Amino acid sequence: MVRRRIQDPTLRPSATADPGTIRVACEYLAGATVWLLVGTAAGLLDALKLNWPDVLAVPWLSFGRVRAIHTNTVFWGWSSMVLVGLALYVVARTSRAPLWSPTLSRISLALWNAAVVAGLVTLSVGVTRGPQEYREWVWPVAVLFAAGVVLNGVNAYMTVATRHIAEFYISNWYILGAFCFMTILFTTAYVPLYQHGLGNVVIQGYYMHTAVGMWFTMLSLGIAYYAIPRILGRPIYSYALGVLGFWTNIVFYTLIGAHHFIFSPVPWWLQTTAILFSVGMMVPVWAGGGNLLLTFRGASAVLQRSYAAPFLLSGIVAYVLVSTQGTLEAFRTTNVYWHFTNVTVGHSHLAMYGFVAFVIWGAAYGLVPRLTGSEPNPILVGIHFWLALVGYVIYVVSISIAGVLQGFAWVAGEAFIRSVEAAEPMWLWRTAGGVLMVASHLVFAVNVWAMRPGRTLTATPAAPAVEASA
Amino acid sequence: MNFHTSHRAVVGFAFFGYLALTLLIAILPAVSVQDTPGLPGVAARSALAEQGRAVYLREGCGYCHTQFVRDLPLDRPYGRATVAGDYANEDPPLPGTERTGPDLSNVAARQPSDTWHLLHLYNPRAVVPQSVMPGFPWYFEEKAAAGPDDAVVPVPPRFVSAPGHVIVARPEARALVAYLLALRQPELQR
Repeated sequence: MVRRRIQDPTLRPSATADPGTIRVACEYLAGATVWLLVGTAAGLLDALKLNWPDVLAVPWLSFGRVRAIHTNTVFWGWSSMVLVGLALYVVARTSRAPLWSPTLSRISLALWNAAVVAGLVTLSVGVTRGPQEYREWVWPVAVLFAAGVVLNGVNAYMTVATRHIAEFYISNWYILGAFCFMTILFTTAYVPLYQHGLGNVVIQGYYMHTAVGMWFTMLSLGIAYYAIPRILGRPIYSYALGVLGFWTNIVFYTLIGAHHFIFSPVPWWLQTTAILFSVGMMVPVWAGGGNLLLTFRGASAVLQRSYAAPFLLSGIVAYVLVSTQGTLEAFRTTNVYWHFTNVTVGHSHLAMYGFVAFVIWGAAYGLVPRLTGSEPNPILVGIHFWLALVGYVIYVVSISIAGVLQGFAWVAGEAFIRSVEAAEPMWLWRTAGGVLMVASHLVFAVNVWAMRPGRTLTATPAAPAVEASA
Repeated sequence: MNFHTSHRAVVGFAFFGYLALTLLIAILPAVSVQDTPGLPGVAARSALAEQGRAVYLREGCGYCHTQFVRDLPLDRPYGRATVAGDYANEDPPLPGTERTGPDLSNVAARQPSDTWHLLHLYNPRAVVPQSVMPGFPWYFEEKAAAGPDDAVVPVPPRFVSAPGHVIVARPEARALVAYLLALRQPELQR
């Protein structure tokens, strides 16, 4: 029996999901949850170090090393791993076929875990490619990760290729696209042939931007296009808008990396192109975000009952907000006040946490109980939601105020240390928000444990154990 | 060819379209600027300063300190605007994205004292009480008495465990200071 501790009318076990696919998805979720705890502990430590700089003054816990550990662990260990785990399930479900090769994805998972561990060790001892954001891992570590991307990409592609229906659902556009883009952009970032001097800066802008936009955003949207209709029990508002969002994302998002280096020696035409297409980003963002939000229209009954839907709704709201903010940040005028300030830190957390992590959590709570037949305690899911939401709103608001104060101090021509003093009270608020976020992750880990397979239901493809809900 | 039923079409267009865009917006522009020559009359950094740069990379200094001066009034305190030639021999260049601390493109001109830098690296709050920069005490050691070649750091007494002890810089700290003192913008010839 599935335990229905809340009477979610849409909770039905996926009778046709095969055990191999379920096992892979659960293993990715479990591994990613460990890295979430490690990665955000590192983030919290660095936040504390801005409040109390002499705490834990040992080399491997110093601010500069821990910063790279935080970003790389939450990017590659947490977000990538859990997104791909969910994506593989979505690919199999929407193809009405089992995962082409569960073994291939389990090899990939081993490679990724090895890469994240090796990344932790190397960055801790100071083996790094320097502060080139999100490509600090030395190449042997990066190769392990890239191999996992390619193997999973092949697996997802072959699963779709062997599908049992004619249609090729929109989620799979985004998911298979993400594997293509990640392979190209990660390789581009590590090949040194064109990265001498200023060439490196051009590639850095392209890479750090598209790694977020063409990998995390694409996977998150692909999963959202499956999870939201599935949980709400209604079709997506407009299929065509999803298609429009896909192609415009590819064109616009790819061209805007140079907006991270406005007023730099990077060619002026490249900066202007980046600013122009940053405005163009409003097309895929409002097409995709609006489409998903309109799918929620009239679904307030499910929204009140389901513990997964609120995560997805706030995730999509954050997607629209953070992307619109991104366009505003790209202008030369706003750059004067905001660039180099903590506004950037607020923006990145609104994106990777408010959007990506919330979509992940919504999809995990909405889909995993359907796979395993085990539900988490809805009270604990609620505690997770509110701790994470209140925590990250405090975080983003306070760090953004800190950034604005920094910018004002610089524009006013004050001594540099005045900008530090102005930001300090806000940094304390940021740490308080971070504590709530980390606490929510501990609750999430408990909930992941509660959703583990094999507790109340042994899923077998031949014998769906439970009827549709009464 | 129907995109809604052909995964080959969607994946093919997405893959090669993205590859073409990557070439146009990243790889070709990078190729076109990567051979910008360095500024004339600039001497190569010393071996010691290069070792210091390795320490600078290892400790992630570039996450908080930019080496990227914009042609804006608020960047005037840090020197002249950065030009492509400034990054010519930097592998990797360190423009940075955050200024939790000040820009260092021209720090040697602002702060030429090696003693100040050693003290600041040992514990920034010894010289700037409000600073939030991490100290790097592991690049220093406490000794009962300084040796003949030791660089003694004139720390306030509260930083040593016994009266009369001295703090001396390890080679890494001396290298890092050599690098910081090599961060001086060459003048542009007009």
